[in-house]
Amino acid sequence: MIDLEPLWLTAKLALVTTSILLVVALPLCYWLAYSKFKFKVVVEAIISLPLVLPPSVLGFYLLIAFSPENGFGKFLEEHFNLRLVFSFQGLIIASVLYSLPFMINPILSGLKNLPISLQEASFTLGKSKFITLVKILLPNIKASLLTGIVMTFAHTIGEFGVVLMIGGSIPKETKVVSIAIYDEVQSMNYHNANVYAGILLAFTFSILLAVHLINNKFKQKSLF
Amino acid sequence: MNVLNGVITQIQSHEGISLVKAKTTKDIVFTSIVLDTSETAEYLKEGNDIKIIFKETEVIISKDAELNISVQNQIPCIIQSIKTGKLLSQVNLLFGETIIKSIITSNACKQLQLKENDKVMALIKTNEISLSPND
Amino acid sequence: MIQFYAYKMLQTSKGTQPLNVSFNIEKGQFVSLYGNSGAGKTTILRILAGLTNAEKLLIEVDGEVWDSSDKKHHLSIQKRSIGFVFQDFALFPNLTVKENLEFALQKNDNKKIVEELLELMELESLQQSKPQNLSGGQKQRVALARAIVRQPKILLLDEPLSAVDDEMRFKLQDYILKVHKHYKLTTILVSHHLPELYKLSDKVIVIDKGKILKEGKPNIVFSEQKISSKFKLTGEIIEIIKSDIIYVVNVLAGNNIVKVVATEDEINNLKVGQKVLVASKAFNPMIQVIE
Repeated sequence: MIDLEPLWLTAKLALVTTSILLVVALPLCYWLAYSKFKFKVVVEAIISLPLVLPPSVLGFYLLIAFSPENGFGKFLEEHFNLRLVFSFQGLIIASVLYSLPFMINPILSGLKNLPISLQEASFTLGKSKFITLVKILLPNIKASLLTGIVMTFAHTIGEFGVVLMIGGSIPKETKVVSIAIYDEVQSMNYHNANVYAGILLAFTFSILLAVHLINNKFKQKSLF
Repeated sequence: MNVLNGVITQIQSHEGISLVKAKTTKDIVFTSIVLDTSETAEYLKEGNDIKIIFKETEVIISKDAELNISVQNQIPCIIQSIKTGKLLSQVNLLFGETIIKSIITSNACKQLQLKENDKVMALIKTNEISLSPND
Repeated sequence: MIQFYAYKMLQTSKGTQPLNVSFNIEKGQFVSLYGNSGAGKTTILRILAGLTNAEKLLIEVDGEVWDSSDKKHHLSIQKRSIGFVFQDFALFPNLTVKENLEFALQKNDNKKIVEELLELMELESLQQSKPQNLSGGQKQRVALARAIVRQPKILLLDEPLSAVDDEMRFKLQDYILKVHKHYKLTTILVSHHLPELYKLSDKVIVIDKGKILKEGKPNIVFSEQKISSKFKLTGEIIEIIKSDIIYVVNVLAGNNIVKVVATEDEINNLKVGQKVLVASKAFNPMIQVIE
């Protein structure tokens, strides 16, 4: 009988990460899309880093940063009694950073593809930036939002390197499905590994399929 | 395009249309009718320098000097040169030091037996002459 | 009512060029900005709306300062009493026609104005449609109606008629005149369509390369040109053909090719590709009804 705990943990991690990223990404994307800040490209490059960086590199730096031996980790432990290494909270922070581009990129390109006049028209009609974002911009990039949410969710489910570096494999705390598979294989439990892997494959495939179907529908009643 | 310099000597306007008389060198007076008045076109003032403009193809040539004809602009000229083409001919006319070019059919040229140094009249209707401020 | 001064370096296809204009507009006037593309007309509208900034600015509307670069004062776009009709109409694709208009309502506005405008612009039957299902002319009417929901002091129109055919153009001009009068607006229109300017405007400001060339009543501004001839077109020489001792010059003006006879001396100054003015006396052309 396989342990269901890693499945729940994975789902929880993906859900929390996606929610946090959505909240973070909206203002960040708005800023990236419309600000005239000179060094915006630098910020964009940093956000895209996880796309190309080996997850173990990111995990390694986070491990160093969060370690209670070092400045930042020590500060957190002393002042907030918070230890981020080998904990679920640490995993969330790592996931948020690691999945950042998967949420940012679709939303950002969605915003950039909207004619600037939509926003300007809203301003000339006396509406604030916030109202414009919520009532005009976001409803017109539904497909991008959906892509961002699903890609982030799916990507968080699939992450391995970062989790391994910073979370290890503590049951109920950091042992997500991808780690569980690795553990099962290590201990030659191919059957269990197979079940985990099968569930993951079926699940991620079905949500990606759903996204493409929905996006196609959006495109058919094309906005412009 | 024939372009001559002139000075406005008289303007007679009525309901947006003006009959403008302009004097060129050798005291030849040209008359032009335009859809403007001194209110709608600033340059239309007596004493102003203007350009008198008309197309070569609108210049009629007559060998008779005394004509009982409605054409208002009648300028005595001497034929300076003729360039004959198959259908059309260009006749360069001289009055004073000014050249007026006329393009007429080669048939007309033959019929009138035009040749260099002939004395002729160049005739231009008032409504064929455009004016332009000279600046 | 509007006092406008702006200085701004513009990036154009031919390098940088300063926009340096100053003009006054009376309350209730219909003013057109006329000029070649790249002359800075749209920039002027955008500066007035607060959508574009400039190095030096002084804008006063009804005694209220909207922009003053000296005093570092800039009234936000939202607070300016303007209606802006964009060249691409900028209708919100997620909202229906009616919702587009309702979006423009402010907190305590009476909703009646939306109904009134739908009726005035003859949009009632379309009110539940989404913008993507409308024709160009319909979109234009919706954009115009939406710009007026707030009952602004100033209506700004950025070449709103460039995307529609001639017949629609005439109709839409009537709608524009209708709202201009009905809501006692002060209207500024960017256009390079001469007949439109004649029909609509009380005053034309001709802009060229960032500067005001002329301003005044349209018939005065446009009649006072280099030559008294009234039958004029500008176009580009596309071909010069020798015929006997003369030449026939083909000039493309708009979508028409006109042919002009020229002499050999004149041809020396003409080249294919040159921009030219073709003029004839108003007495010569004949006029016939087509159809």
